[in-house]
Amino acid sequence: MKRNLTAATLMLAMAVGTPSFGQERGGTMNFARYDGSRLIDPIYADRNPDIWMVGSLFDTLLRSSDDGKSIVGGLADSFTVSDDGRTVTLNLQADLKFADGSSLDAEDVLFSLDRARNPDLGPWAGMLGNVADVTADGNTITLSLSQPDPTILSMLATFNTAIVNKDVFDAAEGATDQEKSAAIFAAGGAGVGSGSFYLCGFEQGASMDFCANEHHWEMGADGKPLPYLDKVHFEIIPDDATRILKLQAGEVDAVEFVPFSRVAELDADPQINMNLYPSTRIIYSPINARETRADGSANPLHDVRVRQAINYATNKEALIGLILQGAGQPMRAPLMSSSTRLAADMDLYPFDMEKAKALIEDAGFEAGTTITLTTLAGSADDATIFAALQQMWAPLGIDLVVEQVDGATRGAKNRSGEFDIHTYGWVDDVNDPSQVTGWLGYTPVRHAVGTGWESARFNELFEASGSEMDQAKRAEQYAEMQEIYAEAAPLLFMYETPFAVAVSTAIDGYVQTPLGANIFSRATVSR
Amino acid sequence: MAGLQYILKRLALMIPTFLLVMIIIFLLVRMLPGDPALAIAGDKASDADLAAIRNRLGLNEPLLVQFWLFFTNVLQGDLGRSILMRTSVMGVIIERLPTTVFLAAFAVSLSLLIAGPLAFVAALNRGRWPDTVIRTVFQVGLSMPVFYIGLILLTFLAAHLRWFPVGGHGDGFTGQLYYLFLPSMTVALYTSAIIMRNLRAAIIEVLDAEYVQFARAKGLPNRLILGRHVLRNALISTVTLLGLSIGNLMSGTLVTETVFAVPGLGRLMLEAIFARDYPLIQGLTLTFAVLVSIVFLLTDLFQSLLDPRMRLS
Amino acid sequence: MTDTAAAPPEVTTARKSRLHLALRKPGFLVGATIIGMSILFAVMPGIFAPYDPNFIDYTAVRQAPSWEHPFGTDMLGRDSLSRVIHAYTVNMQMAVLATVFALTIGVTVGALVGYYRGVADMIFGRVVDAIITFPFLVLVIAVVAVLGPGLINMYIAITVVGWVYYARLMRAEVIAQMGNDYASAGIVMGYSDRRIIFRHLLPNAITPVVVYWMTDMALAILLGSSLGYLGLGAQPPQAEWGVLIAEGRNFITTAWWLSLMPGIAIVLTGLGFSLIGDGLADLLRPRG
Repeated sequence: MKRNLTAATLMLAMAVGTPSFGQERGGTMNFARYDGSRLIDPIYADRNPDIWMVGSLFDTLLRSSDDGKSIVGGLADSFTVSDDGRTVTLNLQADLKFADGSSLDAEDVLFSLDRARNPDLGPWAGMLGNVADVTADGNTITLSLSQPDPTILSMLATFNTAIVNKDVFDAAEGATDQEKSAAIFAAGGAGVGSGSFYLCGFEQGASMDFCANEHHWEMGADGKPLPYLDKVHFEIIPDDATRILKLQAGEVDAVEFVPFSRVAELDADPQINMNLYPSTRIIYSPINARETRADGSANPLHDVRVRQAINYATNKEALIGLILQGAGQPMRAPLMSSSTRLAADMDLYPFDMEKAKALIEDAGFEAGTTITLTTLAGSADDATIFAALQQMWAPLGIDLVVEQVDGATRGAKNRSGEFDIHTYGWVDDVNDPSQVTGWLGYTPVRHAVGTGWESARFNELFEASGSEMDQAKRAEQYAEMQEIYAEAAPLLFMYETPFAVAVSTAIDGYVQTPLGANIFSRATVSR
Repeated sequence: MAGLQYILKRLALMIPTFLLVMIIIFLLVRMLPGDPALAIAGDKASDADLAAIRNRLGLNEPLLVQFWLFFTNVLQGDLGRSILMRTSVMGVIIERLPTTVFLAAFAVSLSLLIAGPLAFVAALNRGRWPDTVIRTVFQVGLSMPVFYIGLILLTFLAAHLRWFPVGGHGDGFTGQLYYLFLPSMTVALYTSAIIMRNLRAAIIEVLDAEYVQFARAKGLPNRLILGRHVLRNALISTVTLLGLSIGNLMSGTLVTETVFAVPGLGRLMLEAIFARDYPLIQGLTLTFAVLVSIVFLLTDLFQSLLDPRMRLS
Repeated sequence: MTDTAAAPPEVTTARKSRLHLALRKPGFLVGATIIGMSILFAVMPGIFAPYDPNFIDYTAVRQAPSWEHPFGTDMLGRDSLSRVIHAYTVNMQMAVLATVFALTIGVTVGALVGYYRGVADMIFGRVVDAIITFPFLVLVIAVVAVLGPGLINMYIAITVVGWVYYARLMRAEVIAQMGNDYASAGIVMGYSDRRIIFRHLLPNAITPVVVYWMTDMALAILLGSSLGYLGLGAQPPQAEWGVLIAEGRNFITTAWWLSLMPGIAIVLTGLGFSLIGDGLADLLRPRG
């Protein structure tokens, strides 16, 4: 808060003091990442290190507002949804250009949206499943929907619907779209996207460079195109401790995924701004709710009272203190982060050992029963979670044991149901709660994140909300779904965490959005 | 002529070895829980998506068919496409190989430079304080986990004193020397400790041997004895040991490359295992096998050059 | 590798006097003391540790060393000294169990193929080459991933790979010993294979293997620690030095004691094994 105030005062002073707004331009920002991008293409981006960079290279027709609560224009400067919710009309800005100066027109939009909704190509096509047809008349783009879709505007502001250059794809080598995309990415260059940067350097697993797009339509405070920076240079440093040392040594300007145990130390460094960006990230643990375990034995966690009991017996504040050093908050909305639209605000299973004991007794839980917590091998956070939960649940007569596995094994166990409880996390990809709600609770998507829990009423509400254009009614549906979910407790509800990014004081204006996207377009560097 | 024949015989023996390596790694990766489809599509993908990807990757074919394809492709020099990197496995490996080879060679050179002279000092002062100090210091180096010692070097020599860069890799020979010094040093601390122990023991053994005692008694100058007998034997045993520990050296690069953010084959291998990238794991394993086999062959040739009695083994 | 002249076939009498000699060597004594203490800690850690190593105290996390907690407390408020001491149990177990099966299998196989040679030796050569050409850590990681994490599976994984090194060493020594007069004499005199192998070859060939074993025990602790760091070794809340160091890594500038103390324990134990190894090398080395 204090920091923001100072910045605002400074900006005001500058605005008053200088006749023409003096905007810092040029320079390179050096950014240390935990993992590298493999292929940055709107429709093939499927890992966070890819998804979170799409927006820098490719613009979308619409955008989320800065606070994430509404949709505003992007490449399209105006948009309307018909009253019956079946037609979306967008007006493309005039004289748009790709980063190489070639023109971006309706043809590119049609090509890009056809790619995005082709189920044979990328994994995200299902999110545009209601789009029946896309047509163009001059700069007017019309989407016809097979049924009303309250999420459609959010989808047009999501990375997978970003616009690519049709001509570049037509000319690229390769038999399939995916091969063309890989060839275009490998070659780099300014032709393919219209984002504020273009890819101008790439070394697999080592480094990556973004160069400024001088043809970008969006203007900075000085009336010239964004971005302010000439270049962003990325280096991939997988080890947390090494990454932070790199910043402390002044070799990079920013470091992402700072472990929370290091936040206080970096915050105390006058050369570093320790940013905790609000996120849609939630940390939770699916509980196997099936009647029997995968090996056929009776599953004590099938009893809702046992699931509720362990939720009550978990002291979230203590976990947040131990793991996040206080930089987080308990989950308050059962299906999503509380920063998401339509999120409920509940006091979700406050720590209450008496209630927990009563429930566990009521359920006839046999003391000394072994329950396995599957955690991610090598994760310090998971090791702490286990040690803490083991002690917290001991009064309930639960003998908690650990099973450490790697990510791929955990994923496979989640699908096969061979687990009791396992640690997990989530970040929204879309600025709409439907994605996470489907993931956590709607049976056909993933059997309620592999828990096997199922509620007919929940499924019915989810389906109905998928075409509910009345915002108030949709909010009601979401409220009821969250109530059902909280009561059934298919998860161990844990906490929400921000994105911890440490940035040198030489850098200003960099942000990471709640969806994780890295935004460099308004960043400046002053050395 | 005999030498050439020997080399040809050794090369012929590598064929069953490589075949065995291919079979082991092929089966091992397929026994790992989880599969590449999951790694590609991520946890968020639906079961139907996964099935489609498995089909596309040919993972639904019978194991024998998959192995035959792998085998025949390798014979044609094709290691397949990396699932993780979305490019050819061969391309990725060729891109990263020089860095790892540089790191390993640099580490071996440093080890020899450190261990060689000190082993002589220790052996000649056997039981006295220089011996004790040297051995204790090396033992400390040998007992420190790579992920810990690497961090200590980074913290003090790179971040605080700014003598070296914190991780990454440089361009050109001098750039690589500068960037890879600390990671090489980390590996070398471990390797040099092993070499030092072995070399010291070898030197002592020769010094105690009857023929050397005899030479001494005959009044041959110490320098000559050291030069003629000790050095040669020390070389043989060191080369043997280096050859043997090449596998360990490669393992050492796995963690070192991660800690120092060096884009080499070791780190790639870890990533490939965690992503269940079958083609990449197989390709990397074969690459390691070829590298190690070449080192073994060179070791043997070198040995037989120094010690004619070894030629038949 | 050995350049020594023909070694005596009977070594027992000479050994006894050398045992006294070894015990008088300060290095061997120090090593024996360290390992003796380590075994004591490993067998009854409860006597030496001041606190329950797994007791979590949210109100006392990451405290600096004090009289109350000589090694400070960790991020869960657990007493670090108690955790380092209790880790002796699992780390010493690692040193023994991760190597002893590899040693037994390797020595037996190595001696047999070294003595008989022939087809068995050919096959052995291929298997050894195949296993040795794998990066050790990769094979261990893969085997642990297949079997599931945990100490027992880790021992299996290390044994599957580790026996090869003993076997190679043993085979080479046996072949070298075969060249010596006493072995050929034994064959000429019509001794049984078993007698030649176990009475004559093995005792003379085993020295480098035993010395290597001492080094290998130290290495096993290190390898186990690396696997612990990757989450594939000891399972929490069991304290293990590698895991303790990994936990303390992120606090190297703010709570250095967390990683330093287990680091010292690893180094000391490694030193102990290595000093004993050197002592044994002196003790067992056949002299003319």
